[in-house]
Amino acid sequence: MNSIWFKPELAEEIINNNEIFDQTQNVVTDIITQHIDLITLVENMEGILTNKEPESREKGMRFFTKILTELPRDYLTVSQVKFISKFYIDRLKDNHRVIPAVLQGFSAIIEMKNYDMETSGEFFSLLFREVNCQSQTRQDRYNIYFIVKKLMEKDIKYMKSLGPDFVYGFIASMDGERDPSNLIFLFNFLPEFIREIPLGHLVEEMFEVISCYYPIDFHPAPDDPAPVTRQDLATALSPCLCAIPEFAEHCLVLLVEKLDSSLRLAKLDSLRLLTDSCKIFKPESYTPFLKTLWSSIQREISHKADEELKFAAHEALSALVSILSRTANTDQAFENFVKGILISMQTAVAEATTVAQFVHATKVLLTAANGSKESCAIITKSMIPAILAYYDFKTSPKLQIASLDFLGDLYDLAKHWDVLEQTAVQVNELPQLCLTVVSQPIKDFQVAGFRTLIRVMNVLQTDLVVPFVEVLMYNVQHSQDDELLKVSIETIHAIAKKYPEIIMQLLVTGRCDIENLTQDKTALIKRLNLLSNLASIDEFTKVIIEEMLKVVSAHDEEAPKVIEALSESMSDISLFTEKKITEIDSDHGLVDSVVEWILREINNSVDVSNGFVLIANTIASLPADKQRNLLAKHTDNILDKCKYNDKYYLILESLYISVHQTVYESSFDDIMKLSLKLALNSELDSVRTKACILVAHFLNKAEFGQKFELFYELLKNYLTNCSKDDEELCPKLILLYGWITKALILRGSDTFLFWLQKIVNTLSNTQYSKQGSEAIKLIMSDSPNYLSSRQHCRTSLLYRQRMFQNFAKLTHKLPPLEGAANESYLLSWAYVFEKTPKSVLNNETTKITSIAIDSLNYENNDLLLVMIDVLCYFVQAKNAVISGSLQTILPRLVKLSRYVKSMDVRIKSLECLYEIANSYRTSTLLPHKQDILFDLAPSLDDKKRLVRNMAVKARTRWFMIGAPGEDKPN
Amino acid sequence: MTKTADNINPHIYEKGSEREITSSERDEDLQDEFDDREIFDLIRNINDPEHPLTLEELRVVEEKNIIVNNDDSTVLVNFTPTIPHCSMATLIGLSIRVQLLRALPSRFKVTVQVSEGSHASEHAVNKQLADKERVAAALENNNLLQIINQCIAV
Repeated sequence: MNSIWFKPELAEEIINNNEIFDQTQNVVTDIITQHIDLITLVENMEGILTNKEPESREKGMRFFTKILTELPRDYLTVSQVKFISKFYIDRLKDNHRVIPAVLQGFSAIIEMKNYDMETSGEFFSLLFREVNCQSQTRQDRYNIYFIVKKLMEKDIKYMKSLGPDFVYGFIASMDGERDPSNLIFLFNFLPEFIREIPLGHLVEEMFEVISCYYPIDFHPAPDDPAPVTRQDLATALSPCLCAIPEFAEHCLVLLVEKLDSSLRLAKLDSLRLLTDSCKIFKPESYTPFLKTLWSSIQREISHKADEELKFAAHEALSALVSILSRTANTDQAFENFVKGILISMQTAVAEATTVAQFVHATKVLLTAANGSKESCAIITKSMIPAILAYYDFKTSPKLQIASLDFLGDLYDLAKHWDVLEQTAVQVNELPQLCLTVVSQPIKDFQVAGFRTLIRVMNVLQTDLVVPFVEVLMYNVQHSQDDELLKVSIETIHAIAKKYPEIIMQLLVTGRCDIENLTQDKTALIKRLNLLSNLASIDEFTKVIIEEMLKVVSAHDEEAPKVIEALSESMSDISLFTEKKITEIDSDHGLVDSVVEWILREINNSVDVSNGFVLIANTIASLPADKQRNLLAKHTDNILDKCKYNDKYYLILESLYISVHQTVYESSFDDIMKLSLKLALNSELDSVRTKACILVAHFLNKAEFGQKFELFYELLKNYLTNCSKDDEELCPKLILLYGWITKALILRGSDTFLFWLQKIVNTLSNTQYSKQGSEAIKLIMSDSPNYLSSRQHCRTSLLYRQRMFQNFAKLTHKLPPLEGAANESYLLSWAYVFEKTPKSVLNNETTKITSIAIDSLNYENNDLLLVMIDVLCYFVQAKNAVISGSLQTILPRLVKLSRYVKSMDVRIKSLECLYEIANSYRTSTLLPHKQDILFDLAPSLDDKKRLVRNMAVKARTRWFMIGAPGEDKPN
Repeated sequence: MTKTADNINPHIYEKGSEREITSSERDEDLQDEFDDREIFDLIRNINDPEHPLTLEELRVVEEKNIIVNNDDSTVLVNFTPTIPHCSMATLIGLSIRVQLLRALPSRFKVTVQVSEGSHASEHAVNKQLADKERVAAALENNNLLQIINQCIAV
């Protein structure tokens, strides 16, 4: 109770002792615990608050303000707040030194719960009269803006009632603000201010004050730790300039003027402002400016090199078309505007001699069409006939194909805006054009024509179907080109969806002669591909599948081809949905027929491998209960047969590989045991691999908890019983370890470490290190055929990162290796690096670069390719370790640039040399320049052209180092 | 360079497609001979000194104007300036020469010439380009070298 603030000497103390400011927290505590009354405190400060010296008064206000800011916001009562507010407002008349504390104090007061809005009016009128905002310091100006913003948030109604004097005062106080962070603050709340508070006659004044910043030309100070960028300011300013429709006239005048500026940024900002303004201004406001706006936009849109400017111009055009279209029915201006665009762009299209020019012009039209429904209709109506004429007129194939693409895009837009009916006359011409195009037997034309036809399929009329089918069937039967074949089949598929009856009659029973499928041997495979593709359409499924399966069950010699076609088409999930496949299996017994076929043919010299794929893929698409049924039906029979011949195991594997995680039968244990046995002991390579895969799948899918434990125990027991000394077994074991590790790491189980350790151990063994690295390759690689989500396996996204880290940890403990073992060790690293996301490698640069540099001494293609690739990656990132070891790396790369065994290695090492020249500082590279130029000369005469190309690239780049005209800093 | 371009509005042609990689090029054992297309690929992307366009887009160089003889190790490049009084013809020729000097094995003898009848002072330009001493001297001029380097930098 003897602290100084309990006594009248407090005033003296504040004047003399600056440390008292550190004790405000204690004062606040005393006030809250009611040891001292606020009034007593003020009374004790009387000496200083009314002191003659402004300096002392400032200190007094500062002290009191500090207490106010630290008081809880709801502590003071209504009358207390009112009293203090009055006091603070009154202080605005005081000496300029006192003002900062007053402003800070007032901004604390308005945050209080019991603040009375009524006092704000008086505050502002006094503030604007007594204080010249722009002569205050940065922070004080901020406080003024902050008070305005806060009060608006508190009671907007009251603020609206303050009238034009307040608006004028505010405009005057922000006029001339030049601090970037204050400006950002202002720009961020000004749009709301302008929208909410009636500006009255001050619209123009307000706009003038804001527009003087436009366009923003500002460079942040280089030493600013958190700089406000030009872009921030520009983005914030734009909404202020177009905050209310009343700004329209001023804003557009300004905008048109700045669009003509020679400054790129001014143009960019103006285009963006135009885009923003279209959301606010009325369409009529633009009418007087349309001509100038379009000519400016057209100029920017035809910019050759500046993509950003071009994009902004497209955005602006789209926004403008979209807003103007609102007056389409009442005002001629919109139509005139769109027609203006059409005329200029039609000229541009007609004059285009290159695809780039053509695409540029048509893109503008597409942007305009994309803007609104009305513009889309106008443009579609006039452009389709124009392009049709253009197609006949221009003979350049590239331009003709580009015009087809444009028509396709235009059709898509017309569909999007739902104007197909209005434009039916024009749009219906499109399929006819497609027919003209595809009638030329040139691949590029046909591909483009069919692609466009697929897009406009909805307007294809019946009379054109037959001619199309003629061309398509010819392609399907005779074309040697894969792409064309694929497109042709896609097109038939699309036509079949629209006109199933016609296609059924023409193709399925007609040309493909489904009933005597295998009579005609010519182009049988191609016909089968087409039919199996069409089978995915409901109308055709029954007919086609039935006929195909008939061939299979009849054990016709063409059955393998049928199975192959089916398996290929049905693995395309976009064609055959799971529902469709389930339906096919239940209606036609697909799996049963295939299993039966394989059982019959497996011992003859018939290729049944596609049958396995078909079974596995079909089962993958079935629901769990159907899977169970199929397994129950076939398992016992095949298990029996497996006892005599390992081959039968392959059927078993294809049945079990894709089951759902929930499917579990008692037979699983037996199959697991059988798989383990075969994985290690079967004579057949394919059976061993498939057995490993099935083991991995079981481990991966087993339910967490007891079932997994059981499987895991089973596995461990089996493997401990294996003889350790059998040398033939070891390579097979290591491979199995690889599969086990992969299955476990994919399900996110930590147990994988145990198996990975075993593999890593083999790396130090000269005899088995090769298999060790193979196992690592297996773990890192992936394939859609096993351990993927298609087979309902558990997958973990980040398993490669995990593998990378753990492999690094485990190999760390290996003894130093030599010779072949070291090569395998480095090779394993290569497999790991190859698949690990490059960004992960950044954490261990030193270690990785030293491994990569070491590897350059070994003559192993896989190893070299990956390691040089890793080096390239680090070089591109301007890694310092590499620039420090250039003396070692450069000779090794030069040596590899003449590596006889593989051209890929030669190319890759030349690429790395190119990257080095591109990435490092001239001073680092210059000492090596002459040597490298000399060393690269032989590669210019390499016997392979691809190597020579890369050698040219690298050598010409090295010529540039330090030469005049090199485009590189330092 | 404050001088305005000789040909302000040149005709621009379509760029050809990239050379397709054939299976014989991927075959390790086969020898790929130098052909016209390969030489064309070396110089098609050289920039015109006046425009941000390549020599190919301006049809200054064309594949049909290049003759390679592998057995004699000779390369003949004919280039066509866009207009007959183009003051840049020598510079373009020099750029082509320098690029081929750097990119071709030293066994090749390279001749760069203006296509017949395509330039007002055809003989003077050809003479300059054929004169080894003058080419070497030109390359010692740093300003000139800078412009050439900027033209051939891809």
